[in-house]
Amino acid sequence: MEQYSILGRIGEGAHGIVFKAKHIETGETVALKKVALRKLEDGVPNQALREIKALQEIEDNQHVVKLKDVFPHGMGFVLVFDYMLSDLSEVIRNSECPLTPAQVKSYMMMLLKGVAFLHHNNIMHRDLKPANLLISSLGHLKIADFGLARLFSEQGGRLYSHQVATRAAGCIFGELLNSSPLFPGENDIEQLCCVLRVLGTPTRDSWPEIVELPDYNKITFKENPAIPLEEIFPDTSPQAVDLLYKFLVYPSKQRCSARQALLHPYFFSSPLPAHHSELPIPQRQGRSPRQRLQAPPTDFSPDLPVQRSVIDPAMLQVIPFVPQGTELGE
Amino acid sequence: MFHNSSHMKFWIFKSEDELEHMRYTANQKFRNKILDSGRPGVTDSMFLGRGEEDVLFRHYERRVLDFCNAFKPVMPKSVVGTAVMYFRRFYLNNSIMEYHPRIIMLTCAYLSCKVDEFNVSSSQFVGNLLQESQAGQERVLEQILEYELLLIQQLNFHLVVHNPYRPMEGLLIDLKTRYPALENPESLRKSADDFLTQAAMTDAGLLFPPSQIALTAILYSASRAGLNMESYLTECLGLKGDKETLSKMYDSMRRMKTLLKKYDFPKAEEVNVYKQKLERIHSEFATSSNKRKRGYEEDGHVAKELRLAEEEWTDEDLM
Repeated sequence: MEQYSILGRIGEGAHGIVFKAKHIETGETVALKKVALRKLEDGVPNQALREIKALQEIEDNQHVVKLKDVFPHGMGFVLVFDYMLSDLSEVIRNSECPLTPAQVKSYMMMLLKGVAFLHHNNIMHRDLKPANLLISSLGHLKIADFGLARLFSEQGGRLYSHQVATRAAGCIFGELLNSSPLFPGENDIEQLCCVLRVLGTPTRDSWPEIVELPDYNKITFKENPAIPLEEIFPDTSPQAVDLLYKFLVYPSKQRCSARQALLHPYFFSSPLPAHHSELPIPQRQGRSPRQRLQAPPTDFSPDLPVQRSVIDPAMLQVIPFVPQGTELGE
Repeated sequence: MFHNSSHMKFWIFKSEDELEHMRYTANQKFRNKILDSGRPGVTDSMFLGRGEEDVLFRHYERRVLDFCNAFKPVMPKSVVGTAVMYFRRFYLNNSIMEYHPRIIMLTCAYLSCKVDEFNVSSSQFVGNLLQESQAGQERVLEQILEYELLLIQQLNFHLVVHNPYRPMEGLLIDLKTRYPALENPESLRKSADDFLTQAAMTDAGLLFPPSQIALTAILYSASRAGLNMESYLTECLGLKGDKETLSKMYDSMRRMKTLLKKYDFPKAEEVNVYKQKLERIHSEFATSSNKRKRGYEEDGHVAKELRLAEEEWTDEDLM
């Protein structure tokens, strides 16, 4: 812990406080998630174990937060992550103007890439929502908070399939398109009602496997026709609506996987996904101007558009000597 | 996936010698710490030698297996396998003279239940210590929680263990679908299972990937039944043209069989003598060594009452 100096508090998670800190040796800004164990009769909480478990087993991916280090501290331990400027829920809430279709497409692509990567590594996140999708200083979206994650090789034939995650992706998609939650329920039953109102009451015809669900028929709902998604998302392209249908379909077997979704025509039609440098990066609340200076956009990065690194040939003429093989801009 | 797991990257070692060297270093480290502390009257003969330490290690390893196998509700094999693997990993870098195995073994089992999502409450867990009174069980639980973070730390926060049980199921399915030469693959299960049970009490899991252990178990079982399955390796697993891999594989299998053959059942007389030695070591030197439990960085956090309670209950109370 002596390796870090705390710069401020970012927020409070399910099992600990998150701090912004600086790694003294490298000067890197990081997020420290402190997991305290005080008065827990079962010891280290399962959520913390799941998070460590999942993050220790996956390799680096651009769209998943990286666990840089983990060490014991006081009555618990500390997880060290890259520092992120914001999260998608802030982007949706704070954006001065609504997101453009190209920006929405870009977020969806990054989200699906992250989800596809996790599934390829046999990890189910199980808690995908805008607040858990962090935004880096370069505008990249990264999946975070693995407190409910499971490795699904242990799961055997349980009902929870990884298609559930793309259902969550569908909900996030809806929220991005309309800047408000697609199913704004306050509790589980209310939420269920919202789903039924939009997607219609499922029947044995539309969803044969419904009878196998553990709580099937415990509550009966009034039969309700589906509202066409075109009506809920009036200004949205037909391809986007088509993809949304593929995410939100009731039978999970019919739902498309993250990998399949990435091949959907939506991502290949105009407008193309926005470059990450064209995405909004809202400031975390309570950030002082000084802190802002500490995370400047890098001016040398393989992720930046190549045009920015190219030098205007006119500038080269001032320099008397041009070595061979550097005919830029030709 | 095993190939990019922490298990593969950090917990598969090159050779039997490397493992022994690590354990020897841990033993030396403890000795030197006590000898360097300048305490009067400390002699080399007070400590456990590597061989003695090993006998006790095997004794406690059997104890944790017995505990897990008698556990109610029935503990899945993978949970048991993970617990035993934690126990082995922990004592690669720590001497049993430093941390008493009777509490570490239970901590391993407790953590394994949580990590493998075998959900039992903490009181349910210690409820399986049938010989303990309710108060005794609560004391043990407090200690388990005291040591849990130390264990996690000593495992380097690498919590996922890949056990050979799933690969074995996979191999049996493969045999049934792609290897008609074998009439009844299920008949191999019993003695292959026995092989895995025994392999768990050796260093096999620290030297070989779980799939190779499972394959060795199947081939071992087949050869005991007088069946030759070489064509499964050459034809079905595609090793015909790859002489190098094939010979490496045979070598690994030989080494595994040697490990199993060399396994020595800890003898009761020896165990009793060494245990007395161990108890003496812990009562004399315990205070200086317990600071790091719970992974504390600062001193002065460890509750004193707990350490007293620890001395009150002995091994025999556990089961």
